[in-house]
Amino acid sequence: MTSADRASALQRGLHALHRLEDLFLALMLAAMILTAAAQILLRNLFEWNFSWGDPLTRLLVLWVGLMGALVATRQNRHIAIDLVTHLLPARIRAGVQALTSLFAAIVCGVVAWYAAIFILDERGYGSAGLLGLPDWLLHSVIPLGFGLISLRYALHSLIRSHAAVTGTQDVAP
Amino acid sequence: MTLLLTLALLVIALMGAPLFVVICAGALLGFYSAGIDLSVIAVEFYRLAEMQVLLAIPLFTFAGYLLGESQAPQRLVRVTNAVLGWMPGGLAIVALAVCAFFTSMTGATGITIVAMGALLYPALKHAGYPDNFTLGLITTSGSLGLLFAPSLPLIVYGVLAQQLGIGEPISIEQLFIAGILPGLLMMVLLSGYSMYVARKLNLDLQPFAWRELRSALWQAKWEIPLPIVVIGGIYGGWFAPSEAAAVTALYVLLVEVIILREIRLRRLPEIMREAMVLVGAILIIVGVSMASTNYMVDAEIPKQLFEFIKEHVDSRAAFLMLLNLFLLVMGSVLELYPALVLGVPLILPIAYGYDIDPIHLGILFLTNMQIGFFLPPIGMSLVIASYRFNKPILEVCRSALPFFGLLVVSLLVITYLPWLSLVLLGRN
Repeated sequence: MTSADRASALQRGLHALHRLEDLFLALMLAAMILTAAAQILLRNLFEWNFSWGDPLTRLLVLWVGLMGALVATRQNRHIAIDLVTHLLPARIRAGVQALTSLFAAIVCGVVAWYAAIFILDERGYGSAGLLGLPDWLLHSVIPLGFGLISLRYALHSLIRSHAAVTGTQDVAP
Repeated sequence: MTLLLTLALLVIALMGAPLFVVICAGALLGFYSAGIDLSVIAVEFYRLAEMQVLLAIPLFTFAGYLLGESQAPQRLVRVTNAVLGWMPGGLAIVALAVCAFFTSMTGATGITIVAMGALLYPALKHAGYPDNFTLGLITTSGSLGLLFAPSLPLIVYGVLAQQLGIGEPISIEQLFIAGILPGLLMMVLLSGYSMYVARKLNLDLQPFAWRELRSALWQAKWEIPLPIVVIGGIYGGWFAPSEAAAVTALYVLLVEVIILREIRLRRLPEIMREAMVLVGAILIIVGVSMASTNYMVDAEIPKQLFEFIKEHVDSRAAFLMLLNLFLLVMGSVLELYPALVLGVPLILPIAYGYDIDPIHLGILFLTNMQIGFFLPPIGMSLVIASYRFNKPILEVCRSALPFFGLLVVSLLVITYLPWLSLVLLGRN
């Protein structure tokens, strides 16, 4: 396997991962719309609805929020102050972006770590939540989401450092 | 030490680090120095799943994106034009009204300028409005409508204020009602100016025609119920904002994808993703700000700030003026949501100390943000409009100036006449 082959295998792997993330996001949003609309319909027609309906939609807000944030990380579309960086020469800008991405990776990693500790504690209590699923599983999106975002930023940081060192115009993943 | 760390975070933010990361780092450092277990951040972030009203954010954003991808904006403009087009300045007023409606659904995220500008800019030029007027009008319209239901920023303000729990509890519905008159004031001033410009230019008037109105209404028959459900539903109290959002999202999905088939089913995942990227960027900021807010309150930072300001500013009027200047600059440097999550926990307690109603403050806050968007030289609307219409930023600034002036006048009225925000609630 040549390095070009390996690179394109990596590209394909990443592409598949991106499709998976997008699909997951779309499914959760569809579930959110259908559950929320069904709740209103049932409430108005039969003055009754599923007791798990509202908590489920609320939980989906958390999941959709973090998964959306993950895709925003992938596309570098988080809200940031963009006053200074675009004035810098390309290589220095890449260096600055490598540093800020590294910082982001560390902060999100710390959050993921402490959230994971929290979830493991919760698992110890074994309390059951929505639809009989254990609470810790429903809440696991917090360490999972921040963990994946941290990895993404680490990847960004590597790519940006490479661009800063070699001066090549990189393609964003 | 604290000062040093704050400065370091500020530098990192200016270097372009994502703001949610900066806010999160601030909260982590704060909890760490106070000796609190950092796992608390997970508990705070989980609050995103405890507020039903937040459901409105993904659902309305999705509905807004779908509408933007369909032909609905064209139909909306046609109907409004059939109703208002006969007046002098009619088309300009159409632009203001349609943009306000669109912005109230999508938030001032630049979508309005991009989606509606493409439609209205050529139409206004064709009707004979001068270039700079058209440019200024579209730039201004990009943030008009933030005070009308179902404005997502107003919802976020309400959520943050509820978390702080200062004064008597306020509801999202109250904020929507409070926004009606101030929002209308801005619309009326801008419409008046448009009429004045059109009169002076002696533009040809389009006669009112029942036939055109009937045909425009018929063409838009599927979309007509929407504003009634959204606006009537929320203001009338039939629907909570999250319910109105659910109904809107499902309805728009059915109409545009299944009935009118203007959006292919295959494109749906992409549109969903685009909308949810924006939602994710907003919600993660709101989520981490739950933690930073809690830290700021625990550390009594707003209280210390209040005591410091109280020493130097003793009148309420002077405080309000300072507040406006501060918020305008903040609104032009930061985007709306970071400005809200950083500003509200600090400012609300201080403003309460000066006896300012939290609901009045909300309206004031968003009005400032709206104007800050096109505060020269770096307001976001100016940058987007300059990019979108390929005009130098200075020209955009100059064109926006009269509109800017009028909105500053409304800001002053809204600031010093709390009655305007509170009378419909009977709170003053």
